[in-house]
Amino acid sequence: MNLEWHGHEEVGTSKAQLWAFISDPKSVADCVPDLVEAVVEDATHFDAIVSVGVGPVRGKFKLKIELEPQSDGNRMNMKISGGGLGSTVDLLAGADLTDHGATTSLDWTGTATMRGKIASLAGRVIDAQAQRVITTTFANVKARCASSSA
Amino acid sequence: MSTTEAPPANGRHSMGQPMKRKEDARFIAGKGRYIDDIVLPNMLYLAIVHSDYPHAKITKIDKDAALKIPGVLAVITADDLAGVGLAWIPTFHGYDKQMVLAVGKVLYQYQEVAAVVATSRAAAADGVEAVVVEYEQLTPVVDPFTAKTDKTLVREDRENKTNHIYHWEVGKRAETDAAIAASDVKINERVYFQRCHPAPLEPCGCVADMNPATGTLTLYMTSQAPHAHRTVVSLVTGIPEDKIHVISPDIGGGFGNKVPVYAGYVCSAVASIVTGHPIKWIETRTENLTTTGFARDYTMDVEIGATKDGKVTALKVTTHADHGAFDAAADPTKYPAGMFGICTGSYDFPVAFTELDAYFTNKAPGGVAYRCSFRVTEASYAIERGMDLLANALGMDPADVRMKNFVRKDQFPYPSPLGFVYDSGDYHTTLQKALDKVGYKELRKEQAEKRARGELMGIGISTFTEVVGAGPSKHFDIMGIKMFDSAEIRIHPTGSGIVRAGTKSQGQGHETTWAQIVAEELGLDPQNLLVEEGDTDTAPYGLGTYASRSTPVAGAALAMAARRVREKARNIAAHVMEAPLDDVEWVDYKFQVKGVPSKTVTMKEIAFAAYTNPGPNEPGLEATYYYDPPNLTFPYGAYIAVVDVDKDTGETKVRRFLAIDDCGTVINPMIVEGQIHGGLTEGFAIAFMQEIAYDAEGNNLQPNFTEYLIPTSLESPHWETDSTCNPSPHHPIGAKGVGESPNVGSPAAFVNAVMDALSPLGIKNIDMPLTRSKVWSAIQEATKA
Repeated sequence: MNLEWHGHEEVGTSKAQLWAFISDPKSVADCVPDLVEAVVEDATHFDAIVSVGVGPVRGKFKLKIELEPQSDGNRMNMKISGGGLGSTVDLLAGADLTDHGATTSLDWTGTATMRGKIASLAGRVIDAQAQRVITTTFANVKARCASSSA
Repeated sequence: MSTTEAPPANGRHSMGQPMKRKEDARFIAGKGRYIDDIVLPNMLYLAIVHSDYPHAKITKIDKDAALKIPGVLAVITADDLAGVGLAWIPTFHGYDKQMVLAVGKVLYQYQEVAAVVATSRAAAADGVEAVVVEYEQLTPVVDPFTAKTDKTLVREDRENKTNHIYHWEVGKRAETDAAIAASDVKINERVYFQRCHPAPLEPCGCVADMNPATGTLTLYMTSQAPHAHRTVVSLVTGIPEDKIHVISPDIGGGFGNKVPVYAGYVCSAVASIVTGHPIKWIETRTENLTTTGFARDYTMDVEIGATKDGKVTALKVTTHADHGAFDAAADPTKYPAGMFGICTGSYDFPVAFTELDAYFTNKAPGGVAYRCSFRVTEASYAIERGMDLLANALGMDPADVRMKNFVRKDQFPYPSPLGFVYDSGDYHTTLQKALDKVGYKELRKEQAEKRARGELMGIGISTFTEVVGAGPSKHFDIMGIKMFDSAEIRIHPTGSGIVRAGTKSQGQGHETTWAQIVAEELGLDPQNLLVEEGDTDTAPYGLGTYASRSTPVAGAALAMAARRVREKARNIAAHVMEAPLDDVEWVDYKFQVKGVPSKTVTMKEIAFAAYTNPGPNEPGLEATYYYDPPNLTFPYGAYIAVVDVDKDTGETKVRRFLAIDDCGTVINPMIVEGQIHGGLTEGFAIAFMQEIAYDAEGNNLQPNFTEYLIPTSLESPHWETDSTCNPSPHHPIGAKGVGESPNVGSPAAFVNAVMDALSPLGIKNIDMPLTRSKVWSAIQEATKA
């Protein structure tokens, strides 16, 4: 099952502050909703355990997350892979940063491939649920980045 | 053979009477005995571990955690089955083999990977959750068009390293192509009959009971073909057939789904043999929908040529068949594409050609005859959609195009260009009856008025011909076993009796209709004839009930066995009445001395004499008959659907549906009506609701009734039914079979009606199921253009 999402956040910080925030695995991990545990491995990698409740598929997913900062400082990619409960998820997210001085635009996209029970048993609701997760993650980025900069 | 209304009930002893179903008393009272009602002492339970992924190497199966769960006794894998030579078993027709449990890799999502044996059903389920299977995922192949590229191989185990299974063709290719090319008008449309599932309300299951003392394996199982299953079990296990006892108890619907052999049966038998305990396995709904035999999944390119005035010149149908991971289609051995050659339908094509290529994909295997003779529904859908598309291209009324091209009554027996010899029919009369009854002209007038107002109303016709009753042994067999069927009748001294057949009812009402056939032949009370099926130790050998073959084959065997009983009774009657045998005749359901109407004796009296005063005749009154039909039978019908489509929501309302069926002689009109209601409801579901769809990653998206919808009385339209009667000339009682006609004929009527409604928008085809969203999207696309 292939899914796509996109969205936009206007973050009330400078581009440099936002870049610093999303380059920090710990900060990004804290923005993931339903996070149970996160272990930072290095500057661009962390492992996360998240609670999943989609239709009849309920439990925990173990995910490996890799941040891929682009050299120009205008784009951050993120690869998420893992799964559990007889399911696997491969997600590619990307965020483009546009500098407006005191604020920064964050335009994000996400594409995911779901396999296994989560796609079969929860296919009807997975799109909305996954969109909620990714939307909430970027909304959290906006809120926490702004508050950490205040 | 004259066309008449349905035969009157009056004047017949039992045949044609709307007798209430004898079996319903126990079903209504909750006294049916289904597979899950069977509980044996010291019984254990089996549950199955399924694959999460559609195509993956199995790198590890860890049983340890499962075996630590209290009550879990064993975890069976393919390695264990290999030890007893049962890792693989032959498929239905014997051309392929299939894994019982996954061997090395999984080939479709939900494939059986391991089986857990435990002391309770709950412990078995816990054990399933605790078995850890590690996979290395592979690219799945999810459609036959990708499969044919062979970029990813589904079956490395086969000698031929290709996903292509077979090519089949019949007819005259060159002549057909030339005729179409030379035609004034041509249509060429791809139609897809989606993968769907019989979804019987009772899923599959079994209780396997090996008796270590006698060496007898008793298999209580949801089997539509108990004798065939006994033979298959013997062949694959080496257990002598006399040591295998298959009992098929009451079955809650089969529709072809309970013909194949499934992993649960095999694993339960092995577990019982090893443990010496009875083993029960009962499927869940998800297991039934995701692993057992699916139906259809044919993509058909339909080409028809015609003259300007609407006379057809040629038909060509090219099909891509998706068979899933194994070639397990339930077709007779010599007919890999079943009876698809019926695709010329009710029409007199001068020339025709059809070809089919079947492919392996990473989907569940199957291809069962879901409430139809083998692949007849697909063929009927292709031709009935094709005729409507042709009518559209010609600018003619679809009823007129059909009338112009029907096989005429005086052409029967009619040799079709694809090899069948149709036995009887009067298609013009049946369609005319339908048109008159539905008020076709008035409906077309109403439609014109509505179109002028921008409203979408459609009228869809389907005038299908089935081919059923497999079959003549010269052509039809399953792994060499000829497709005859059998009946045994034993009349007791008091005139009651027991009737046994090689068939197995799953709701068809055999306990009533079989009794009516025998009662009609013998002048006995059908209420006092006990019908027994499904026990291989007592019933005569038969190939079972599927593909609408019971009445055409076993029904004939019953009549013939009864006639043997009657002939013996005539000898006893001659003795009793002290008359020469040649002077004894069967008149008005009694034996009578010729020319002496007062000198008669009833069958009930003869039954008593058979045991008390048989004279020079062998005592007793019983007979057996194995019937090998000389030809197939060809039921047909004319169905008309009337729909209104809401162009703002895409919702279709089926306002009317009229089904005129001709199934030859009717045994019980009430049961026929019930069969038609059930089949039409299934056809409605297929047309508007149901599809076993897979996404591009091979995920099965309809694994339960939340997604795979079953219509209730709230969604189902009101069904109007009627009949014509052209008896089969070669069947002993003229019956043709009817249970599957409504499922065969109705999908095209529904789709033709919706396409007729949408035709002002230029929409020619939408593939089933015609969900609101699909219809709405098509309307949006068309109006945007």
